[in-house]
Amino acid sequence: MADRRRTPGSQTSLREANRGRIVDAVKKHGGLTQVELAGATGLSPATVSNIVKELSESGVLSTSKSMRSGRRAQYVTLAHASGLVCGVHFSQRQLRIALADTSLTVVAEHEMPLARDHRSDNEIRRVGMLVADMLENVSAERDELLAVGVALSAPMDAASGMVARPGILRGWEGVPIGDVVERTLRVPVVVDNSSNLSALAEHRLGALRGQDDAMFIEVSEGIGAGVLIAGRAYRGASGGAGEFGHMVIVENGPLCRCGNLGCLEAIAGGDAIVTALSTRYSGLKLSDVIVRAMAGDDVCIRAIADAGAHIGVAAANIASMFDPARMVVGGHLARAGELLLGPIRQVVDRSLASRLAPAPEIVAGQLGPRAALVGALAVAAEHSSAFPAVAGSPDLRVALG
Amino acid sequence: MSAETVVPLPVPGPPERTPVLSMRGISKSFGKVQALTDIHLDIYAGEVVAIVGDNGAGKSTLVKILAGVHPADDGGIEFEGQPVQIPDPTTSRALGIATVFQDLALCDNLDVVANLFLGREIAGVALDEEEMEREAWELLRQLSARIPSVRVPIAALSGGQRQTVAIARSLIGDPRVVILDEPTAALGVAQTAEVLNLIERLRERGHGVVLISHNMADVQAVADRIVVLRLGRNNGDFLASEVGYEDIIAAITGATEHARPLPEPSYPRPRRIGPLR
Repeated sequence: MADRRRTPGSQTSLREANRGRIVDAVKKHGGLTQVELAGATGLSPATVSNIVKELSESGVLSTSKSMRSGRRAQYVTLAHASGLVCGVHFSQRQLRIALADTSLTVVAEHEMPLARDHRSDNEIRRVGMLVADMLENVSAERDELLAVGVALSAPMDAASGMVARPGILRGWEGVPIGDVVERTLRVPVVVDNSSNLSALAEHRLGALRGQDDAMFIEVSEGIGAGVLIAGRAYRGASGGAGEFGHMVIVENGPLCRCGNLGCLEAIAGGDAIVTALSTRYSGLKLSDVIVRAMAGDDVCIRAIADAGAHIGVAAANIASMFDPARMVVGGHLARAGELLLGPIRQVVDRSLASRLAPAPEIVAGQLGPRAALVGALAVAAEHSSAFPAVAGSPDLRVALG
Repeated sequence: MSAETVVPLPVPGPPERTPVLSMRGISKSFGKVQALTDIHLDIYAGEVVAIVGDNGAGKSTLVKILAGVHPADDGGIEFEGQPVQIPDPTTSRALGIATVFQDLALCDNLDVVANLFLGREIAGVALDEEEMEREAWELLRQLSARIPSVRVPIAALSGGQRQTVAIARSLIGDPRVVILDEPTAALGVAQTAEVLNLIERLRERGHGVVLISHNMADVQAVADRIVVLRLGRNNGDFLASEVGYEDIIAAITGATEHARPLPEPSYPRPRRIGPLR
């Protein structure tokens, strides 16, 4: 109840807070008229009018004339003078999409659940419509969109620009994703693996700032990782490096969706956790497991801890191979916090105890589940200016590094 | 065969779940038209059950029986384990079943607050507008709804926002089961996204959600269980995690028969005609 609607004072001390409220409300809705802004923030129309005027003079907001309920109204959006970039993240069960200006200030954002094994053509069409809708919402023209970054929660093959392993995102196999999205949106498109982009995003804006040799581990329904070496994502020979989730940690172990046996993902991934618990709780989802664990359900706590221990084994192996300074854990399951991180840290510390150098720090990501989306925005912004030269060759487009 | 019999250790079983709402053998006819025949349906708390089927499969009739619009001809309904009758909409609502119909049934000329509390106004001597507005914001915030203002008439809102208001209205009184009839039909892509998020939010709040939809992508995105009706009968009850798009379409069109085994026929088996062996 902390956010009860109250009429805030108009003292100068509150002015900063009120500015924040207005910018937040505009961000949340994409665009609002001043009257609606007054309703949404609980500020008086006069205050809203003053602050909007001030912020549009300083270039934070922009206003345009509009009509609401037959009356003239001032439509307020975030300013985006330098053009816009779009970031899209397709994971197994979720779509995230955002529009941002080239300094990565998000001006409009949507997320929605997706069907298991959703089909790429439907979703790309959906993205096309969402982008048009969002552009209209922030009163931007089509040609203000400079570039699109697409993050896919699947390994990407650099040469073909397609998903490199079958069984991971089934609806996307055999589709030259960059080309198809480019044809739909008619702007340059950059496609990359979501864990690589999450690593880049955390490196630029989050928990990996200043850490050039580091690693991002994504634990959601599946498990993936992005490896940063000297500040750049390491992609390997074919572009499919960082398939952390498909390291075999139990020889001849359980069947993984990639077709292999004993992959980390088949033992400690979100789907594996849910499947293991499904005999006890029917109709469980990963978010329920986390909520239950946080509420003190011992079975769920144990399931997450076991997953953490297995991830720890794999992380320790990677750590002795690449010697990262820090490992950031993100993805859905990272919401469980120390319930997951604690066991990972414990196993990694124990495995690397004999080293002279300290074991890598294991911390939670700062960007949360949005990391890949922010990364997609960041690569899109990076390539929005320099792109035309590269636009012709798909291999360059995928191989960002 | 050894004489020793192995007695399995008692395994601590899963905590038994009782459905919030359970329909057993529901039938309904309109004159000569048999709309529903022997329908079984269970709805658990914190679960999204999608009911899918072709036009005329009986989806809306099923919803109307739960909403108390039509009483069932035959069969029983149990609510939280207790047998109940739902003769009219008031009873349905009092039990804790909230229904959002396809046409939303909002008053276009009234604002969001008035619509939310229509018929259930918070009032002392006069209407407590302040309190109602506060509660309206609270509710919309819990649903992470993108409504710009609660004091605009419904006519000024987009389709998705109207759907949000209708769903928010159904939540007043904290129902156990929320029934959504075609919530994403006639919505734009961004509004559809909003409504699907809203359904997830309802599920997280622990409501049992019944979703009627024609859109398989939407159904598969949010549903935990998918119940297929075909020509007024059950034709499959799938866990969403274990079923593909094609299986559902096959059940909807009748290419596969997943219906529960038919009861023994009440008439004697036909006599064999032909030479006796």
